[in-house]
This record gives sequence, structure tokens and C-alpha cells, in this order.
Amino acid sequence: MVSAPNALCFGHELPASGAPCLVQVGLHGLTVVFTADGREQQEEIPFTALAISVGGLDHDHLVLKWTSEQGERTLYLKDAELIRTFRRFAPPSLHVSFEQAATGARSARWKRTGAWSLAFLTLLILVAGLWWGSDLLVALAVERIPVEWEQKLGEAAYRDFLAHQTVLKEGPAVAAVQEITQRLVRPLSHNPYTFEVTVVKSDVVNAFALPGGYIVVFTGLMQSATSAEEVAGVLGHELNHVLQRHGLERIVKRLGILVAASIVVGDQQGLAGLMKQFGVELMTLKFGREQETEADVAGLRLLYDARIDPSGMIRFFERLSEKDEGRVEWLSTHPMSRGRAERLKAELMAMPKLTPLPFTFDWAAVRESLGAPFVSEP
Amino acid sequence: MRSEILYPGAFPMVRIELSAGEQIKAESGAMVGASPTVDVESKMEGGFFGALSRKLLTGEKFFFQTLRASRGPGEVLLAPTVPGEIVILELDGVNEYLVQKDGFLAGADTVSIESKMQSFARGLMGGEGFFILKIGGKGTLIINSFGAIHRIDLKPDQEYIVDNSHMVAWSATTSYTIERASSGWVASFTSGEGFVCRFRGPGVVYIQSRNPSGFGAWIRQFIPISE
Repeated sequence: MVSAPNALCFGHELPASGAPCLVQVGLHGLTVVFTADGREQQEEIPFTALAISVGGLDHDHLVLKWTSEQGERTLYLKDAELIRTFRRFAPPSLHVSFEQAATGARSARWKRTGAWSLAFLTLLILVAGLWWGSDLLVALAVERIPVEWEQKLGEAAYRDFLAHQTVLKEGPAVAAVQEITQRLVRPLSHNPYTFEVTVVKSDVVNAFALPGGYIVVFTGLMQSATSAEEVAGVLGHELNHVLQRHGLERIVKRLGILVAASIVVGDQQGLAGLMKQFGVELMTLKFGREQETEADVAGLRLLYDARIDPSGMIRFFERLSEKDEGRVEWLSTHPMSRGRAERLKAELMAMPKLTPLPFTFDWAAVRESLGAPFVSEP
Repeated sequence: MRSEILYPGAFPMVRIELSAGEQIKAESGAMVGASPTVDVESKMEGGFFGALSRKLLTGEKFFFQTLRASRGPGEVLLAPTVPGEIVILELDGVNEYLVQKDGFLAGADTVSIESKMQSFARGLMGGEGFFILKIGGKGTLIINSFGAIHRIDLKPDQEYIVDNSHMVAWSATTSYTIERASSGWVASFTSGEGFVCRFRGPGVVYIQSRNPSGFGAWIRQFIPISE
């Protein structure tokens, strides 16, 4: 009877990949049948001659060793049915070593499952920790970054951005924006930044702040603002993104996630690409909802301290949210909700009455210099 | 099926003769040419989820292609993506091989392929990822390497040390442990070896004479950074 081989036999004169053989378990021992060149060769091994252990990459082979006339022989069994039969027929003298082998295999499997579970658990804790504790970590990391670094980072992105834009160098609009900025910055008690504000010719109703104190205001924003206080409101908001180092927080957060991801996925190129992306990333940096609220409230305070009418800020927000939302970029990056405006109103109500100090320029003239059609205030 | 390696060396190709109705599976994209009697089908080995898990986990191609000599006998030509040797193994139904994810080129239809999760330490430091292919069954298996393939025969309990990124395939009867190349952490990395695999016989280990990630790192310095 010729059956398919069910085990591999290793030995001095046998091939290194093992000689396939047919193992049958009998009452007194094993019968190992080798088929080579169509010739059958049979070997009988009594149970008493066998040494039992576990082997293979996954400890899933039963390894039987004995010394035959040809020298040391090693048999690797994997077939589960065969191993069960062996266990059934094996004499009590082999039970101890069989159990030891089985325990060894089980503990190896447990170790493996344990290692994976541990790794999975660690990952889970890491993710949870990042999720819940990231704000604290980010704040700690951001605190340690010197302002000079922040400025270098922001300046690079700022120059890169301006290189492709039409910049207004002088004129009433530039003078007005500079005056607003100075008014806002003057009351700040602790300000490590030298703010640089540039007016860029574009219809986009937008303004943005880069880390380090670089602020860009688009003429579109100025054209659609009916008073200087409205622009001051937006600038107050943007200045606070810088002062609260929101940009850095986002970068550190994103960096942290990507570093963690690249460690998990093992992508070394990720980091290099990330560094290169920074210039672009800074431009598309979106702040979180909490950061927006923080900038709103702090912006309102800033306006108040600078004695600029804060209701201009609220009015501008409201007015823009009522307009065609799809076209207003400032709003699309700053999700406007009723609650946000309401919150600002409540904040304002809580503050003592303010006597605003007017600006030295005439807003209508500024808008006219930009070619904006005259719009009466609603 | 009968297979034959053409142009042995760095840029080999394998010719497989199929009798009518016979089919083989091959890495997708491996086919260079075929007789008009041969149909190419893509097949998801192990079903959709098996294929998906293989794709996501081992980075292996989602589909293997099946080449079937449906309209009479024919031949197919197969070649791997990277320059390197091809080795033809005959599986006897008992021997199983573990193959790193880029090592599989083609196999007889009777050869079974499954993705297998490695132990955590091996996956992390072994250099071939957390998932490898376990190939068994009976029939021809064709594997390829980056560089030349070198075969190491291990007798029972014989040990051999292989750099982790040079492994191609090894018998399931071998076992290996990951260890540092030198006794100190610093020396392990400064020696350029990092981690090595200590294989223990019996069985066969196929290694490749070039290290793909090392080659990648080397070639990266010549790639201009595009804006």
C-alpha cells in the first residue's frame, strides 16, 4: 500500500529539506516508510528508542529523535491526526515527555498571543493616551519651542506665499491695517512677537495668521467690511491664533500623529515627506474648534483693551454668515455657528461699558481706494 | 506543468509549459508573454477576505492571476519585478515553506498559499513585516529574490545566522530567533547589521544576495528632490 507521506525525516545522509516519509503508529512503535526511486524502505522504531520534543517555527511540529544504524534521525510530524494517534499508543514512559512537549508548545503559543495582546494593548493605551493626553503633551512641547524657531518657520511660509501674490506696498488700505494692528498690539503686556501684516490683492474674503506673527489680509475682506471695527475684529481673532501659538499646536499635534503612525506602519519616508510638506501645510493649517473659540474670545478682549468697538466683530461674523456661504472663505475655514456669535455677545454683555476710541482714518476712503462699491451699513 | 528558467542570472525569466486545461497561479503582473491558448484570469486566493487581508496585511498583491491553458496546451513566460534569481522548488505535500511577501512568483494550482501572522518580535525586527506567506501543498513553487539566491542546508540543531533583510524563504521545520548582531545596542547599529536571525535546523533557508531596503536607501541619495 502506498500512501502519501505525512512526515519529514532528517538525518545525516538525507536531504536537508527532509525526506518525505509515511509514518504509521503501531502498538510497539513507529513504522517509517521511505519511498525513494520507486523503492520502499521500511524502518521500525520502538517507542523506547524515541525522544520527544517540539519544533518548527511555530512550535507546531512534534519532533521525534532516535539513533538508527545510519546515525541520528529526526522525524517532524505535523499531521494532527497522526499526533493524536501517537499520543494514544505511546506507552506511559513517554507520557511525561509528551506532556512536557505539549506544555512547551502551548507556552510558546501563549507567549506569542501574549506578545501580540501586549503590543495591541500598548497601542491601544498609546492611542487613548494620545487622544486624551495629547493636549497636555502638545502644550508641553509647544512651550519648549523658542519663539525664534516659530518665527523662522512662519517666515519661510510667509515669504513663499507672498512670492506668488500681488502685495499692496502702500496706500490707505495698508496704512489702515497697520494702524489697526498697532492699536491691537499696544495694550498687550507680554508680547514676544513683532507682528508683520501684509495686504494682498485678492477678492478672497479672508485673512490668516502664520506662526511667529505673520499676518496676511486680503483686499476682499476689506472690501466687504463696512467698518474698520469689522476688520479689527478679524485681525483680533487672527492675532490671537499667533499669541496662543495655535499654529504650533497644530503642527506638533500633526507631527506627533504622523510620527506615531510612521512608527506603527514603519514608513521612514513619511517623516522626510512631512518635513517637506511643512511649507504647504502651514498655508492650509486649519485650527480646531476649541482654538477658534479661544481666538474669538481672546480677540474680543483684545478689541476691548484696545478700545475698539467689539460689536463690529460680531456684526461682521453675522453679516457674513447670512451671505452666500459658499463664496466666503473666511467663514468656510472658520465654521460659524449661532452659538459662537451668541457666546461672543454674552461675553460682551459681561464686560463693563466701553467708550470706543475712533480710528484716525476714514473707512469709506479706504474702501474706495480698493475700488469697493459703496455699501450702506445695514 | 513543466518549468524552465531562461537566462539564469540577474534577469531571468521562467517558461512554464501547460498541458490543456492545466492552470497555475502567479503574482499579478508577473506575466511577460503567453500562448494564445492561455487565458489570464485574476483570482482572489482564499476568497475575497483572504485576498483583502493578504493585500492589507502582507502588502502582497490583492489578486493572484490564474493562467489557464483553456484552449489547448501552451506556454507562459513569467518574470519578477526586481532583478534577481528565480528558483523552482518541488513541494511534496509535507514540506511547507514560509516565504517573505515579495518572494512568491508562481505556483502550481495545487499549491496552497496563506497569509500568516508572525510572532510580534519577529514581525517587528525580522525585516519582512508582520505577515508572511505560508506555502504548502504539492506541486511546483517558483520563488524569486533580489540578487542571487543562496541555499543554506541545516541539519537538525545546526544553526546559522542571516541578516534579517536577506531572507527569502525557509522551511517550516526550521525555527529562528531575532537577536542583535553585536552584544551592545550601539555596536549593533554601527556595525550596519542591526538585527540578525539565528536559524536552527533542520531544514532549508533560501537567502538573497542583496538587501532591498539597503539598495533603496543607497539609490535614494541619487534621486533628485523634485519640487
